[in-house]
Amino acid sequence: MAAVAAWLPFARAAAIGWVPIAANPMPAPPLQERQKGEDEKLGINVSGRRFETWRNTLEKYPDTLLGSPERDFFYDDETKEYFFDRDPDIFRHILNFYRTGKLHYPKSECISAYDEELAFFGIMPDIIGDCCYEDYKDRKRENAERLMDDQVSEAGDTVQPMTLREKMWRAFEDPHTSTLALVFYYVTGFFIAVSVMANVVETVPCGPKPGKTENLPCGERYALAFFCLDTACVMIFTAEYLLRLFAAPNRCLFMRSVMSIIDVVAILPYYIGLGITDNDDVSGAFVTLRVFRVFRIFKFSRHSQGLRILGYTLKSCASELGFLLFSLTMAIIIFATVMFYAEKNVASTKFTSIPAAFWYTIVTMTTLGYGDMVPDTWAGKIVGGICSLSGVLVIALPVPVIVSNFSRIYHQNQRADKRKAQKQARLARIRIAKNASGAHFINKKKKEQDREDKIKQGIDIEEEPKDSRFESQHHHLLRCLENTTGPDLHARYIKDREFVEMEYTYNGLAAPKAQSSPPTPSPSQSSQGNPVESSCCSRRRGKYQFARSVSDTGQELNDIQIAVPNKTSSKTHLNASEPPKINSTNTTVTTSAIITTPTPGTTSDTEESMMTVSTTTSPGNSNIVRISTL
Amino acid sequence: MDFDGPDLYENEIDDLEMQVMRYKPEGIDELVRNTKFTKKELQIMYRGFKQECPTGLVNEDAFKEIYAQFFPQGDSSAYAHYVFNVFDADHNGTISFEEFVIGLSVLSRGSLNEKLMWAFKLYDINGDGYITKEEMLDIVKAIYDMMGKYADPPISENAPGDHVERVFQKMDKNRDGVVTIDEFMETCKNDENITKSMSVFDTIL
Repeated sequence: MAAVAAWLPFARAAAIGWVPIAANPMPAPPLQERQKGEDEKLGINVSGRRFETWRNTLEKYPDTLLGSPERDFFYDDETKEYFFDRDPDIFRHILNFYRTGKLHYPKSECISAYDEELAFFGIMPDIIGDCCYEDYKDRKRENAERLMDDQVSEAGDTVQPMTLREKMWRAFEDPHTSTLALVFYYVTGFFIAVSVMANVVETVPCGPKPGKTENLPCGERYALAFFCLDTACVMIFTAEYLLRLFAAPNRCLFMRSVMSIIDVVAILPYYIGLGITDNDDVSGAFVTLRVFRVFRIFKFSRHSQGLRILGYTLKSCASELGFLLFSLTMAIIIFATVMFYAEKNVASTKFTSIPAAFWYTIVTMTTLGYGDMVPDTWAGKIVGGICSLSGVLVIALPVPVIVSNFSRIYHQNQRADKRKAQKQARLARIRIAKNASGAHFINKKKKEQDREDKIKQGIDIEEEPKDSRFESQHHHLLRCLENTTGPDLHARYIKDREFVEMEYTYNGLAAPKAQSSPPTPSPSQSSQGNPVESSCCSRRRGKYQFARSVSDTGQELNDIQIAVPNKTSSKTHLNASEPPKINSTNTTVTTSAIITTPTPGTTSDTEESMMTVSTTTSPGNSNIVRISTL
Repeated sequence: MDFDGPDLYENEIDDLEMQVMRYKPEGIDELVRNTKFTKKELQIMYRGFKQECPTGLVNEDAFKEIYAQFFPQGDSSAYAHYVFNVFDADHNGTISFEEFVIGLSVLSRGSLNEKLMWAFKLYDINGDGYITKEEMLDIVKAIYDMMGKYADPPISENAPGDHVERVFQKMDKNRDGVVTIDEFMETCKNDENITKSMSVFDTIL
């Protein structure tokens, strides 16, 4: 919040826009105590750590902060050095860049902190040296992925009114969104299992039909039962597919996706089987079609994340798998050829041709060793030995790559799930803290108003709490806003508009404490156009806290104030009971800057100061509330 | 949940890297000449500015966020939008440090005339030299929005409308439905409360 304090004078200045249309005049501002070569070596003080370098070194790169006149903004006349209130550890690397021309990325630093420092000093990250560039890129990519995950899940948390289609799609994609989705998920899973089991059991021999002798597989014995079961499953699958098709946001894309193709392939054989009659010509093809029913088992991949990851891994390791296949093929051909020629002359050999020898080679290289084909000649045996040894090597090489890919993706998924679980706890903690600070703000405001009332009424207070200047100015600004929109003074004496205490929920949806009106949507969280690159000032989101702005002599904002050592009093609301009285006793000291009020004992009106001035011009008129309203 | 994998992110990251922008202001001496601030004040302001926005530019979203920090209960984005447009002198969608400081110089050190000019520019949304009732209604609604819905007593639905009516009654002397710069200046200068209130924001930098 300290940095936002730099913008407070700006917010106050912009409040001039309220003045011409204000309903009531503005309260007086809070009183503030007056607070207040050749080549040469330049001293740079970064948060206390001194660096020194030649001017020429810095000016090697004139389009950065340190190399251009922009650094003059940070020059401290008293200590004759440049002061930056930034991280000295990271600054070391930045200064080294000027010295050596190579920018390094320290592995121990957080990537976003490093990026911020680079942005501050005007250095493009692209010039990071080759030695550190890979690491930088990797870290940045991880960070970006994490941010995107957060965004995606955050978007998922928002409660938006969705159309039926969107709701259905969400239910399909993530079964944990509602109980109906969960039920649907389990039902489909059950039916997939039932269907696959039926396919399997169909082929088991069940014993002979009554009245016959041959042993029939169960499928033919209870043909009707299995047919009904199959029909039921296919009905469910068809319904599911059609529902998904309806709910899909992009139908063409959905129809081309792998899962939907699997769905189609799973149910198509049934319909084709219905279509064709029990003809001998096509029954062969029909039988083949039934094989495709086993693809139903792939529908399980919607239900199992591990399966999906496996599938994705295989897809992403396509090149490694291709290499494995290619090298295996090469080795097979070589060994089969040699084997064939070695065993050619043996009588009644099994190695009748090179393709026949392929089988032997494959079985040997994968160390299966069925034993249906064995070499007889000693040359063949030697070759066989070499074959099995090399087989182990060739297969073992690409496997670790595939395994590590799988592991990386799997762990990423684990991390995402873990992060979501931790998020809930984090949010709860943040909510508590935010409530505390929101209530804290309102309390402070009330306290200060009470304090000023007491001053006016002459009640002595023990000691003045050292209120931060930032806070008092902020409160004054808010009171001005209240005055702008307040009702006419001479119309009715009611409480002016006041800020009411509110509770904050996590998303900034303000929920009033004891009001029945529904909460308004929060001040539109500015949508960040740049999800990855933290947009300028986006990090100011977060807890709304008050902190005394850094009161460093160099950093404090000077105010040009014509201070008048009188107490200022202002009150935001009129008491319903007492009508405004005019003070006609004491004089006021008005300067061109501040309008102050006289000593306590006078009426407690905000506009008292204004009114006192007007009374001097027309004395004796005791009910002048000459606050001209617009 | 469909698992897209990291390939999706790669392209987006590459695109975003191209968009890093930077901006450097003119020299401090020139700014001292163009504004009513001293060198020291400019130093202090720039440090705060750059701390908040390392790239040296404030875009509208960031501006709205900053403004919202000061008005937690209400919705200050509308008013922030109008203020942003007045500050953004060259209408390029971002406020540079020069625009910021020049605007601030007018608002806190300027003469009454300059301040009234600034206020007029704020109300005259489309910049045609006339304030219509609709423009004023927009501004007033934006200001009322900042109070939020939880003010006590609650703000009625037609409070902005009534407010605008009163203002127009006062300012529109020739009853032609628009307020020109002269009518505006005249009205404000003749109103003691306005002239005095203008200087309330003077002193604190």
